[in-house]
Amino acid sequence: MSGSLDSYLVLSGLLFAIGTFGFLARRNAISMLMSIELMINAVNLTVVAFGAFVPALNTHAAVIALLVIAVAAAEATIGLALVMAIYRNRKTPLVDEYDSMSQ
Amino acid sequence: MSWSDLGTIAPVVASVLVAAAILIVDLALPNRRQAIIATALGGLGIVAVVILLQAGHTGSAFGGAYSLDNLTVFLDMIFVAIAALTILFGVDYIEPRGLPIAEFAAILVFAVTGAMLIAGSTDLVLLFVALELMVLPGYVLAGFARRDPYSTEGAIKYFLLGSFSSAILLFGLAYVWGITGTTRVDGVTAALAKVAAGGSIQPGLAMGLAFMSAGVAFKMAAVPFHYWTPDAYQGSPTPITAYLSVGPKVGAFAIALRLFVGALGPLRADWLPVVIVLAALTMTLGNLVAISQDNVKRMLAYSSIAHTGYILVGLAAYAGGQHSGLSAILFYGAAYTFMNMGAFAVVAALQRRPGVSSQIATFAGLGRRDPWLGALMAVFLLSLTGIPPLAGFWAKAYVILAAVQAGGWLTALAVLAMVNAAAAAFYYLRVVVYMYMREPADELRPSSPGLLFRVGLGVTCVLTLVFGLFPAIAAAATNAAGVFGG
Repeated sequence: MSGSLDSYLVLSGLLFAIGTFGFLARRNAISMLMSIELMINAVNLTVVAFGAFVPALNTHAAVIALLVIAVAAAEATIGLALVMAIYRNRKTPLVDEYDSMSQ
Repeated sequence: MSWSDLGTIAPVVASVLVAAAILIVDLALPNRRQAIIATALGGLGIVAVVILLQAGHTGSAFGGAYSLDNLTVFLDMIFVAIAALTILFGVDYIEPRGLPIAEFAAILVFAVTGAMLIAGSTDLVLLFVALELMVLPGYVLAGFARRDPYSTEGAIKYFLLGSFSSAILLFGLAYVWGITGTTRVDGVTAALAKVAAGGSIQPGLAMGLAFMSAGVAFKMAAVPFHYWTPDAYQGSPTPITAYLSVGPKVGAFAIALRLFVGALGPLRADWLPVVIVLAALTMTLGNLVAISQDNVKRMLAYSSIAHTGYILVGLAAYAGGQHSGLSAILFYGAAYTFMNMGAFAVVAALQRRPGVSSQIATFAGLGRRDPWLGALMAVFLLSLTGIPPLAGFWAKAYVILAAVQAGGWLTALAVLAMVNAAAAAFYYLRVVVYMYMREPADELRPSSPGLLFRVGLGVTCVLTLVFGLFPAIAAAATNAAGVFGG
């Protein structure tokens, strides 16, 4: 199976699933941020795999992957800034304890 | 790229330049708030003129990635209005809290630029990048009061679930692109038309479409993808809540119009049941939870979820074969924008001085203490309820009419929408009762908002009334804008 498009799609699907699980199961804001990064990188692996195995998609894939990397970097920057802002207010990174508004 | 491409996307370019100009003015003339506000409002006025110059023209740019049509013009105008109103409401609230006004205005204009780019996107990748340009500044705005624990808490929840949904949308996008081999919406339409004509759909493509739909549902805060909404709306500084409740929501519906109507058009009979279930769940749950809220901001947050449900009824009507559902969505989007921003703006006016809560008790006796604010709030709430002759009535009427005309299961959905509208009257009118029939517990001073604020309130109120009294004018615009794509 190695060397086929399917094996790479399975790998990236698994990475995406691990990221999703991490996002849902972890309670630490930094870990959740890392899980989101894992999901986005799984998408990038999908894109690059399609580009590598389907000749017609080759040039597209490089451009999409670069755009995704740029967007993910912007997202991570804002995410870390927000985590730092809330850590200064609350002194904890655990999202369970961010519950001052729910009644 | 050519000069004519730049001409086609002129409103987006102008909007970026306005945001840059705000930052430059702030750098060159520090602490000159009038200069910054004048740059922002004047700049947005110029953007509005640029958009209006494009009215009636059609065209496409960048090899079909961006298209200019009546829908683009209509949505661009709504987004510019949202940005201008947010700045009008924001100044009076941001300044007493010592927050930087220039950064607020610049980030807001960047966010609206993203929304305007969505309005014209006919390419999946451009749609995604435009979406991120709209939501990333939104996260920053939600956490704008960075020393306020509520603001940062709302922002982190908004950010985490927003990025999660972006990743889901992106995963779907990768599969749709990988299997259809194109990122253009019309290319995807052609591929799906083959499926609709009798071919079988590939599992990967079906999965991609499902992931993309879930991502869009997150962004428009449809149940069961709505968990971020109440905390993000309640925690954000109130004028920013006013923006978040309309800007990203209309933006998400712009994606739905470009994506579902364009690319998924051939398969609309297949996604009809999904939209019906989403619409029914969204409006019912939003209303049920809103009834039990004592915080007006949180109540309006749940009410905005319910309104997403009503707008989805219009999308369901389109899926059921009734093309008027599209113009009903646009009418609802415009009417909802002005009445909902108005309602949040009154809350912002009361909270102008730091320390005033948005609990319903703050509204007790408002009708006597601040007769004008009370009357305006009553107008906005009655409009949100859907009482004629206000904007909200016609918005609901058009959506429900389109659903009834489509028939079948949509008739049941229309009945559910009417039942929901009646139930919603309870919590909207409860605030009106507090304003006019309850004695305040402690004597609050009248809030006396500034001139800009009063201009903003006047504009939203006049538009709510105009949409209600002369619906034909707005309906002419939405009917023209509703003819596009599929």
